[in-house]
Amino acid sequence: MAAKKLTVVISQQQGKNPEKRHLEEEIAAALIMDPDVEVSLVPHLYDMGPDHTGMLFLRSVPGDLVVLSWLYPRGARWTLDRQRVRGHEGVSLLDSEDDSDESDDQSDSQELNGIGSLDVPDRKIYCIDLRSDGDHQVFLDEIKRIGSEASVQTVDLMQWISGSPKQDQLQRYLHPDRMLQAMQSNGNGTNGNGQTNGSGEADGNGHASVLPEPAKRRWYPVIDYSRCTNCMECIDFCLFGVYGVDSLDRILVEEQDNCKKGCPACSRVCPENAIIFPGHKTPGIAGSDGDVAGLKIDLSKLFGAPSAIELAAQERDVELVLDGRDAVGLSVGIPKRQADKQPQQRDDLDDLMDDLDNIGL
Amino acid sequence: MADHLVFMMGKFEAPIPGDRYYSENHLWFLPEGDGFRVGFTSYSVRLLQDVYFLDWTIDSDTEVRKKQEIGEVESSKALSTLYAPANGRLLEFNDGVLSDPSAINTDNYGNGWLYTFETNAQLMEPPDYVKLLEDGWEDTQRHLKGQIN
Repeated sequence: MAAKKLTVVISQQQGKNPEKRHLEEEIAAALIMDPDVEVSLVPHLYDMGPDHTGMLFLRSVPGDLVVLSWLYPRGARWTLDRQRVRGHEGVSLLDSEDDSDESDDQSDSQELNGIGSLDVPDRKIYCIDLRSDGDHQVFLDEIKRIGSEASVQTVDLMQWISGSPKQDQLQRYLHPDRMLQAMQSNGNGTNGNGQTNGSGEADGNGHASVLPEPAKRRWYPVIDYSRCTNCMECIDFCLFGVYGVDSLDRILVEEQDNCKKGCPACSRVCPENAIIFPGHKTPGIAGSDGDVAGLKIDLSKLFGAPSAIELAAQERDVELVLDGRDAVGLSVGIPKRQADKQPQQRDDLDDLMDDLDNIGL
Repeated sequence: MADHLVFMMGKFEAPIPGDRYYSENHLWFLPEGDGFRVGFTSYSVRLLQDVYFLDWTIDSDTEVRKKQEIGEVESSKALSTLYAPANGRLLEFNDGVLSDPSAINTDNYGNGWLYTFETNAQLMEPPDYVKLLEDGWEDTQRHLKGQIN
């Protein structure tokens, strides 16, 4: 029997912040009661390996998908894409209201000339950042709005998953109420903490295998294929064998776990800003769109900040030396860029300094 | 040494005293003992405007490398990380300016000094610094304008 249900997956935080957990639980509890929604909880998206049951579950969802995570939408989208959870980009009003007037989704897609993703099924994936708001109702309202515009699913989700030969472990994702109850009674989240009794073992209430297995913290680059032009600068630059090419000669993050924890060097080298480290402290590297800089001018470039390439080489040298190898500075795998291009238009800038005080920021 | 020079930033006259050296990241270096007393040039101060926060992320009497992060500054209109101007040794900080940074605006070449510094690096003579400012003026304006828009 056809059911028009929207699948919503809550990807939990990495840590144990009680406010974050509270938001996750409030949203989950409300969605469990919603007849138009199939909700499920998985560990932190980025930390799940390709064989993690949570990732198998995500891959098994055939129709429109809403993913709530503690990641920037761009970071979440391309992390999922690499795990073969693919779809067309669903537009969420929650994250686009931060954009300034100049950049809306239409203009963004026209500028992007990346090689794009492959084998994209005809369904939408909506990635929403749980840091967008502190009020769970805001997210519930947005999910309602998405549900009303989402395409009709002609396949009953429950039947699809139960009918196909999936592991019994996937059953846990179909009973989010039990998962939520187990979480709340244990007082912990499914965040990779092996010491607690929430790691898949039966607890006092008999919730055997209700909670997903914990996901160990990982660190690896994520390629945004809407921007990636396959220039191969990254594979030249990284000296740790993280990058490779697939059978179509497209750049690929091949050995994710070769990546040195905390090192974001390659993201600085990419000419298209197509490399994302979703967990990095700098929003631009973590996949944030647009200027989060706020109202102040950043003078760091003037006051002696190293250039992106210099910084990348420094960071890479740190990792090389820690590995017992020799530092190479700028001598290896550094992109040869053109000299600064001439500006296309010459503005009249003579009065800029005098106007600085008067600019309404 | 060279005479007192001036660099025009739009209609603003930024004084560049002839009695000291300069670095590419817009600091002045006044010889003092075996090292230098260091502070922001008028160019820096004109861009920063009212400074209200200054912080150092290293200890005094510390060896530093050029472009190493050593602190941050924030003003009413701008912010920036601060970087070591050269390889050398940072000796001591001006504590007065930490508790009340307004001296950076009122007396940047005197009481608004930032720290004392030892280095063997090559520093710029005043006319060379002024030339650097002139050569970079178009690019700087473009860079700043790009951030505002």
